[in-house]
Amino acid sequence: MIRIAAVGDVHLGEDARGRMRPALDQLGEQADVLLLAGDLTRHGTVAEARVVADEFGGLAVPVVAVLGNHDHHDERSDEVIAVLRDGGITVLEGETATVGVDGHTLGVAGVKGFGGGFAGKCGSAFGEQEMKAFIRHTTEIADSLRAALDGLDTDVKVALTHYAPVPDTLRGEPPEIYPFLGSYLLGEAIDSTGTHLAVHGHAHFGVEHGMTPGGVRVRNVAQPVIRSAYTVYCVEPAVVEV
Amino acid sequence: MTAEQYLAARLRQALAEDPRTTELGVRVTVRGDHVLLSGDVASPGRRAELEAVIHDVAPELTVLDDVKVVPSDAPVGREELR
Repeated sequence: MIRIAAVGDVHLGEDARGRMRPALDQLGEQADVLLLAGDLTRHGTVAEARVVADEFGGLAVPVVAVLGNHDHHDERSDEVIAVLRDGGITVLEGETATVGVDGHTLGVAGVKGFGGGFAGKCGSAFGEQEMKAFIRHTTEIADSLRAALDGLDTDVKVALTHYAPVPDTLRGEPPEIYPFLGSYLLGEAIDSTGTHLAVHGHAHFGVEHGMTPGGVRVRNVAQPVIRSAYTVYCVEPAVVEV
Repeated sequence: MTAEQYLAARLRQALAEDPRTTELGVRVTVRGDHVLLSGDVASPGRRAELEAVIHDVAPELTVLDDVKVVPSDAPVGREELR
């Protein structure tokens, strides 16, 4: 059994330093890996990234993260990523990480994701430059997620994003803002690659449980949704059918 | 009613964009002289910052603060995916 801990939207800063650490210090007894689903900081500053690196550094399990929109706000994402990596956190943007657990392998493909909306209710790369750039950003990210998931040859495959791949887990958010919360293109990438589980954040007022059109489980692990330092999903590689 | 909607939108924008708060996860509801804030933040100090930003934009409003500090305890139980 592979035990996957996950949390997103922790929005750390100096004022929140140390709040999660007591729970994280016990993590090795509960989980084999920790996934961070973006919005790790408030403003995306290097100082806040250091708080994140300290909070999630030196844990008993590997930590794999993607960035969220907040982590890009200060436009220093390269420096933020460098600080997190110095702290021992694996940061993915179109890449993969593989973790061995009791003779099995867990593969994680991670991207930030972006908005655009869901099938039948979404934007198109048409018209003004700004609109085309918006949708192309989503398309490029979804393509890189698909390529990363395709490249994984592990017993269990997990897609880690900040933005949502399905609308199911957004229930509770105003429907008018769904196009800013996720994109069906992420879900399509997940469905076409034999993925077992998709984990995202971003939707503080959403719900935890959802499913892609192709039947892949989706979990919204935004901390205001899961209401704990992390939550744990157990996957049995032998019984998972794709 | 219309004015309340525009005011709520301005307050929401202020909470999202003001560097003191940058909170997109807080709901703002204006009713008459009152503004209700709800949602979660990551530390106790951030609740006070929300009220400060609201006061700067609309000092005439009385703030009703239902915002909670998000729990950071270890989870109870786990989910087995079968």
